[in-house]
Formats: sequence, structure tokens, C-alpha cells
Amino acid sequence: MNRTITMNLSGIIFHIEEDAYEVLNKYLNAIKGYFRDSEGRDEIMKDIEARIAEMLEEKVSNIKQAVLLMDVESVIAVMGKPEDFAGESENSEQTNTNTNYSEASNTSYPNNKRRRVFRDEDNKILGGVCAGVANYFDLDPIWLRGAFAISFFAFGSGFLLYIILWIIIPKAKTTAEKLEMHGEKVDVNNIGKAVNDEFEDFKKRMNEFGNKAKSPETKDKLRDTAQKATGFVGDIFYNMVHIVGKVVVFFLVFLGIALMVALLATIFGRGTISVFNSPTSNIHFSLYEFGSAVLPSDLSITLVVIAIILFLGVPLLSLIYSGIRHLFGIKHKNKIVKYTANTLWLIGLGLVIYIGVETANDFSEEASVKQKVEMVQPAGNVLYLDLKPLPDDDLDVTYYRHKNHKLKLGDWTMVSKDENNFSIGYPIMDIVKSETDSFQVVVVKTASGFDKQDATFHAKNIQYSVVQKDSTFIFDSYFDVNSKDKLRAQGVKIILKVPKNKVIYLNKRMAKIIYDIHNLNGALDNEMVNRKWVMTEQDLECLDCKGLEPAKKN
Amino acid sequence: MNIENTKAQMKKGVLEFCILSVLSNGDLYPSEIIEKMKEAKLIVVEGTLYPLLMRLKNDDLLSYRWEESLTGPPRKYYKLTPLGKQYLKELKATWAELVTSVNKTIEKK
Repeated sequence: MNRTITMNLSGIIFHIEEDAYEVLNKYLNAIKGYFRDSEGRDEIMKDIEARIAEMLEEKVSNIKQAVLLMDVESVIAVMGKPEDFAGESENSEQTNTNTNYSEASNTSYPNNKRRRVFRDEDNKILGGVCAGVANYFDLDPIWLRGAFAISFFAFGSGFLLYIILWIIIPKAKTTAEKLEMHGEKVDVNNIGKAVNDEFEDFKKRMNEFGNKAKSPETKDKLRDTAQKATGFVGDIFYNMVHIVGKVVVFFLVFLGIALMVALLATIFGRGTISVFNSPTSNIHFSLYEFGSAVLPSDLSITLVVIAIILFLGVPLLSLIYSGIRHLFGIKHKNKIVKYTANTLWLIGLGLVIYIGVETANDFSEEASVKQKVEMVQPAGNVLYLDLKPLPDDDLDVTYYRHKNHKLKLGDWTMVSKDENNFSIGYPIMDIVKSETDSFQVVVVKTASGFDKQDATFHAKNIQYSVVQKDSTFIFDSYFDVNSKDKLRAQGVKIILKVPKNKVIYLNKRMAKIIYDIHNLNGALDNEMVNRKWVMTEQDLECLDCKGLEPAKKN
Repeated sequence: MNIENTKAQMKKGVLEFCILSVLSNGDLYPSEIIEKMKEAKLIVVEGTLYPLLMRLKNDDLLSYRWEESLTGPPRKYYKLTPLGKQYLKELKATWAELVTSVNKTIEKK
């Protein structure tokens, strides 16, 4: 059994079942909404209603008096959906957009809905993204297209954004969506209005609820006022949260895009990553330089690039993606995108782990090579120690300060000079007592590798030279790694053996390489330079340190 | 290029012409017009017709009058205006030209 409603359609009385009435009413409203801008909408509606009435009349008889859902559906099938009228009313729609507007906003179908963003495939060049977004913001799409076209050249960032938008923004398929695409302009007023509407609705429901529960009329007024006040505060609060949320999301999207551009620039533009970790030391390196210096040689850089793009790029893209969805209020879900993104990220993660393990493996063994430096014992009692300055060094530069681009990684610096990249490291020097009665210089080169042999190979590849000039020893201030060799934790340690009662003089520059040298005065490394030191029975002792008293002997 | 759009555009021009032609043989009310158009498979859904009629009326190519019907509500009979007749004549000429030239182009392959 079904309830029927009595309906007057174009002057004819019908008994229509409730569900059928719902459908018919919605249909008519949809058409009405569709023609809202057309001249003579009412007349068209009358014609259509008359025709529907005519058709429904054929469906009822004395035996079957009620109009059923089935009947309405068949009538709608004959008349066609408002979407199918599309081609016909376009012109009129565009010529009098504003005439019936205020009247039309009372109708309940999509036309007065908030504007939503869709891809406008009717005006598309590629995917209708620009046309759609331009609709949303009431812009001429040509500006957006221009902007995108230009940004295509900025490391393809525009291209990427376009593709993302293409995926996220749904196509306007039905007429309802096409209407929403041009729907009520989104501005502050409208957002406020929409929020207000929601709150009114909520308040109404709450009121009803409250009235049902108990309604002494005297209290009503009071409560009403109170509710209005809370409603107002609620409105403001709700609005604020909304707006703040949007701003935050907007910045996240912006940040995502910026990072994405940076990532792409680093990878494809071969730009440098700069890390400013202290006022005096900056790190600049290109991924390729760094990669080719560190990665195992059987690991292709392409793989690493893919791993980085997947591992960092996918989350960034997801951030941009969901941010844009949120900003435009797109609810349309795309599961394929989600699963693809998850899968790609997992692949990226796997690759990163694989690369990490492979690389770590290449550092697993350590080896060192000892080399005694041929030398002539100095004529006098004193051996002078000095450092060969770097061409771009002046005497006062500090340890970290170099004018070239480089990457410091532990005791490592990648230097690019004269268009060539090579790696240098800083040696450290220790001064100990000699067992014999002659000076001795030993250079210990260490490096890592996947096995002892490999590590030894890397160690042997280190270039380091010490030059003797009469009674002065000049050390290089850095050691060099063959530019084709890998960075494998190479290090150089110089051991200077000083016989008892002999004296050494440390030039100021030596502060760069001496490291934690034991002495009886307890002088720090930088206090030891510019001074003469004599090797005693125990350790070095200062000869010309007036300020530095010998430390207590333990 | 959107093929659906092109098709719709093509049909659109022809539809107006056809409505005018159908009405040139005598006044009709919408259901009858629809029937004729359906016979010729020019219209898929009826809803298309009403906005079209409205536009033609607004352009003063058609006029209508109400007539009581025996079975149902009063009917709206559409009629060509003198302007509509003139319009139709021109369209007919254009159509003939168009058909010959289009056919020529197509057959020339």
C-alpha cells in the first residue's frame, strides 16, 4: 500500500504516489533550475508541464487511477534529462545571465549551489584545467594558460602541477555539475552566507528539540536571545576556523610546490643543494657530484634519482594533491591515484633501503697504508714545520673558510675549482717521541671499502705530499683523492717522531692540522703554534712560553 | 575538438529549420511537432523541443494560439509568422545549396 498525493499539473488533477511525486517534483525543479537564466522560463515550464500532464493522462485509466513511479520514470525518459537539453539553451543562458537571478536563487536545484571547480571540457585545450579554474575564479582562461605555458619551462613544475590538477579536478559531466561550475560566485559573503545557513538550520533543529522537550513561553524569549548570541559567536568561530584552515592548507600547498620545484631543480636542473649550517660554513653540492662520489660504482645514479623522486616526491605530491582538494572542496575520490601513490612510495622506500645497504656495504672494511717519508736530518737541532698554503688561502683563513663551493662531510670537502670537481680532505698530525735519535715522518693513509683489498686500493689512491727544504718540513694542507675515485672515508694521519732533546718549531699555519698533541704545558693545539718545543724524556715541552706554566706532572 | 559538441551544433541548426518546415504545412501543437520530428529521427528526447520553440517564438519566427481540446488541457498551437516564412524560405535555399556542396565535397574523395 502506498500513500498518494493529489497533484495539479497543468490544470489536470492526478493522484500520484508519494515516491513518484518526489521524483517528478525533483525533475521539474531540475529543469526549472536549468532554464533559470532563459527568457520565458515560465512559459517553457508550462509547456513542459502540459506535455507531461498529457503523457501521464495516457497512463491512468479508471482501473489504474494512480500515477506510479514507473509512469513518471517513463515520462522522464521520453522528455529527457535536463542534461540532454544542453545544446539548446546555451545561447539564451549566456545572453541574459543576470535577469532572473534573484528570482532563481529560490529554486532548490543546483543553480544556487556554491560554486565548485570542475574541468571544463567544453572549452578545453588540453584537459580543461585552466578553463575550469578560470571559471571558478571568473578569470579569462588565457591568463592561466599563459602562466602554465611559462611555468612549463621552470623545470616542468607547471607541467607537473597541471597533471596533478588534471587528476584531482573532476570533469564536469552532468549539467548539474556544469551549472555548479558556473555557480554562485565564491566570495567572503557567500561563504558567510553558507555558513549562516548551516547554523540557522542547526539552530532551528535545536530549537525544535528544545521546544519539544519543554516550552514555558516566558523562558522562550530569553533562551532565544541567548541562542542568537551563541549562534553569532559560533558563526564567527566557525568562520575563523574555516578561514585559518584554508590559509594553512594554502601555505602547505605552496610549500609543497616550492619543495617540489626545489627537488626537481636539484635532480634535473643539476642545481646545488645549499645547507647553511653555520655562519662560516656553507654546504653546496649537486646531487650528481655527491652521488658519483659516494655511491658504489655498480649502482647507477638513475636508480638513485628514481628512488629520491619516489621517496620524497610522492609525499610532496600527495601533500599538494590533498591540499588542493581541500581548498576547492573536491570530494570526488580517486582510488587509483591513492593506490598508485602508495605503491610508488613503497617502491621508493625499498630502493632507498637497498641503496643505503649497498652503500654501507662499501664502507664495511677499513685498511691503512703506512708510508715513511724520505728525509734528511736537519743540520741544526731545530726542525721547522710549516704548511703549504692553498692557492686561495691567505694566512688568516680559518679551517672552514674557502671561497670555492664544497661539501664538508666529516673531514671531507668537495671542491670545485676550474670546472673540475675533486675531493680533498684534511690530514691530522700527531707528534710523538722517536725511539731512535732521528726525526721521522710517517704518513698513514686510511680508507674504507667493501673488502680489505678495495679499502687498500682506496687508501693508496690518496695523494699527499710532504716537502723538505733544508731544515723546514712543508706539509700539504690537504690531501687529494683521485677525482675518479669514490669517497670512502679516506683519511690521512701524519705521525712526526721527534727524538729526545731535539726541537721543533710550529708555524702558525700548522694549527690547521695538528690534533690533540700531548705536551707538558697542557697547551691546546692553537696555543702550540709559533713556538718552539723540545722533546723531553716524557713529552714535548715549550721553550718560549712565558705565559704557559708547565702542567703538574702526574 | 569535441565530437559531441560538433554533432550537437550541426543538429541544432538543422532542428530549427525542421521545426519551421514542419509548421509550414499547417499549425501544430507540440506533441504533433514532436511526433513528426520523431518520425524523422531528428529528436531523441522531447525536452529539447520546448526551449527551441521558445527561442523561435522570442525571435518572432513563430506565434501561437490556445485551442481547447476535447481530451485534455487547452493546447498551444504554433504557427509560422510572416517573418518565419521568410526565414524558412531563405533557410531552404541555403539548405539546398549546402546539401549539394556538401555532397559534392564528400563524393569527391
